Amino acid sequence: MLKFTIRRLLYAIPTLFGVTLVIFLLFNVAGGDPALNLAGRHSTAEQITQIRSELGLDLPLVQQYLKLVKQVLTFDWGTSWSSKSSVSTTITNGLGPSLTITLPAFLISLLISIPVALILAYKRNTYFDRVTLLFCLGLLSISSVVYVLVGQYLFTYRFPWFPISGWDPTRPWDYAALPILILITFTLGSDILFFRSVFLQELTQNYVRTARAKGVDEQQMLFRHVLKNALIPIVSLVTLQIPTLILGSLLVESYFSIPGVGGLIFHALQESDFPVIRAATTMAAIFYIFVQLAGDLLFALLDPKVRLNQ
Amino acid sequence: MSSNLKPLLTAILLILVGGCTRGPSYPENSLQYPININLKSLDPAQSSDDATNEVIPNLYEGLLQYNYLKRPLTVEPLLADGMPIVSKDRLTYTFKIKPGIRFQNSEVFSDGRGREVTAQDFIYSWKRIADPKTMSAGFWIFDGKIKGLNEWRENLAKGAANFDAKIEGLSAPDSHTLVIQLIRPYYQLPYVLTMDYASVVAQEAVSKYGAEFLSHPVGTGPFLLESWVRGGRVVLSKNPNWHGGTYPTEGSSEDQEKGLLTDSGKALPFIEKLIFLEMPEDQPRWFHFIRGQVDFEIIPKDNYDAAVEKNSIRPDLGEKGIHLLNYPYPDINYIAFNMQDPLLGKNVYLRKALALAYDTRLPLEKFYNNRGVIAQSPIAVDMDGYDPAFQNPWKVYDLEKAKQFMKKAGFPDGRGLPTFEYSITSSATARQIAELISMQWQKIGVKLNIVATSWPQFQERVQAKKAQLFHMSWFADYPDSENMLQLLYGPNISPGPNAANYRNSKFDALFEKARLLAPGPERTALYRKMRDVFVEDMPWIPTVHRTGALVEHGWLRNLKPHKTIHGFYKYLRIDVAKKRELKRNL
Repeated sequence: MLKFTIRRLLYAIPTLFGVTLVIFLLFNVAGGDPALNLAGRHSTAEQITQIRSELGLDLPLVQQYLKLVKQVLTFDWGTSWSSKSSVSTTITNGLGPSLTITLPAFLISLLISIPVALILAYKRNTYFDRVTLLFCLGLLSISSVVYVLVGQYLFTYRFPWFPISGWDPTRPWDYAALPILILITFTLGSDILFFRSVFLQELTQNYVRTARAKGVDEQQMLFRHVLKNALIPIVSLVTLQIPTLILGSLLVESYFSIPGVGGLIFHALQESDFPVIRAATTMAAIFYIFVQLAGDLLFALLDPKVRLNQ
Repeated sequence: MSSNLKPLLTAILLILVGGCTRGPSYPENSLQYPININLKSLDPAQSSDDATNEVIPNLYEGLLQYNYLKRPLTVEPLLADGMPIVSKDRLTYTFKIKPGIRFQNSEVFSDGRGREVTAQDFIYSWKRIADPKTMSAGFWIFDGKIKGLNEWRENLAKGAANFDAKIEGLSAPDSHTLVIQLIRPYYQLPYVLTMDYASVVAQEAVSKYGAEFLSHPVGTGPFLLESWVRGGRVVLSKNPNWHGGTYPTEGSSEDQEKGLLTDSGKALPFIEKLIFLEMPEDQPRWFHFIRGQVDFEIIPKDNYDAAVEKNSIRPDLGEKGIHLLNYPYPDINYIAFNMQDPLLGKNVYLRKALALAYDTRLPLEKFYNNRGVIAQSPIAVDMDGYDPAFQNPWKVYDLEKAKQFMKKAGFPDGRGLPTFEYSITSSATARQIAELISMQWQKIGVKLNIVATSWPQFQERVQAKKAQLFHMSWFADYPDSENMLQLLYGPNISPGPNAANYRNSKFDALFEKARLLAPGPERTALYRKMRDVFVEDMPWIPTVHRTGALVEHGWLRNLKPHKTIHGFYKYLRIDVAKKRELKRNL
């Protein structure tokens, strides 16, 4: 397992190298010129040239790329071109609010959707299964912006149970509650449908039939055997979703004035603020690599057939 | 119920219970206002957007300000001890600085007590704007205007100068006298000195905080920064050591009727705390206002019908004590033709045909809620040279005439005309407006390919002169039509503010002559001549001059908005008893 871990960590180096290259190329092809934004509406060609020089955008592309690589290696992301503040501080400040809403929403959604999906799969083709499926399809078909608009209208305005929007780091839950509930609502439908199909596949396996023939208790069979065997696709999905948590949720953050990473990245894109874009995307990539590694290690624990050294 | 579900239900319940509390509480005499874009900086050198313009003037001050009540706008002293003495040749401005003005108390000063502001502080602050490393979008206010400043900037960039170097055009004969020497007359100087860019900053603070100076303001303003959660809220509290100021004593009879002179002569500021809530979306801003959680609010486009009926506040809102305020918003919205485009730039008949085929009444109604007037020229409403009776002959919707002009242009019914690219930003409203234009121009056989991009890409297309047709808007930096007409001045072509890349030697000569003239009939006549040259060439289709509209709660006093005046929060007052009474009905 140690060898596997080291090997995977070494693989991460070229992957990260590739990520930085893609980000760099995308920014240079389609990112817009940040100097134009910074120079303002009374800009002159001379001012724009001077700003480009200050930002190092007049350097040869190779030199610019090497500078980026150095930043990745040293974790020194420099300052935002737009706000002139430290990128590390800006992103670190945004991580707390983002994770305060995305992490509980993600966990609660999993805790609800897995047992519900298991029950649905078990009671497949019953009235309960069909109605719930229809409900989930309904949840899935509605645009996320509708959840946000309607949720905010209903629960902050029509029935003012929650604060309309805002953020207070000393009392984050006051402001995070409704956004979390909305995030849960718009992930629940797809999660239940996915997990249901995973469980359905498991329930048709021979070992289930054998267990039943042997007279194993249904509850025990579901939770000890089916759930355990279905964990690999579940872990796969979860490891795909976890890295997105740190990127926050742009829509929810925007409507609820939550100072998270989602809004930060959105504004950075709007203003061609490359230091923020590259820091956020590289950090997400690093996080993704580590979560994937953790997921692979977990597969070995969950399924003895998985051999990490092969 | 399975015991496995118990922790889950408990978590959900906790979240719900947590949510059922309210936001932070502030003293009743606090004012809350929602800003619709995120605040990036509290550094006056970076005050280039609406959010910074709202917040920064409460923390920092400059030599001059606009009189809060007088219209047309009039400049008056703020940190200056009287208006400047101006030499006969209009090239030297001598300012006396009020004695005893201190920066706010701060750790950056050796004894923690704010140091007295001197003329040298202004010289430092303005050099800082000129320093390329500051990357301030505000250098234009001094660019090419002050003797020696541009040379110093160039030398600084080359490492051949430093902040101690003397600049001929900026000197301080004594600690409280500032002399500005200009290269040529600059009648707009008093106006630009009211802008946040010209505020005085403490060198000690810039040195100590470095890159983080943007979040550690040390100014002379009526308020201090208490806290700032980026992307969330900014809380300012009264500066106990502010040099002071009083509410204006002069105003019009209309001001008198509206109660805007009730507080005349009283010490400012009235508000204990000032809270700016960062809310990029319209819906939460509107809900905050209706629930009385913000004191006033610019009406979001989509909520206009919920607020206004027949140009008055809707009766149900009126009963709650809510008022509607329409206010001047000196701007111009226009469709620009890229005059360097080989077809559009050379075919004036084609440009006029497109102007004749565009019925501006439709966008005014559909996208501006009829808040504004149809624009006939670049000169904004109530600015020098504006004539409400003037009718641009190409701004009369006339489809038949437009078709005749298409013939004259060589493209009868659009035959032989290539599809034009219409560049927009990828917002829903921009797309809707573009589709409306496209539908209208189809009637004369003109086809548009709408190219939607992000703002940086749009900006790049325009400034690299790649955009063929595009929508632009400009609000005046100061109340002088020079600021609007420079959008057509030849040397200002892209990447400068002349986005249409229009060049006309006659227009340029008139512009150069007018900028050397003092405000008066002769200059006004030149502005109108420039307008006529513009009409002859039609490098743009002027569309709408907007009017601002906001709603305020009945407990707010002294609000007299104007798009150009920033830093007016010190004049606002909350009637606490009225607030308690009215809030019961919200």
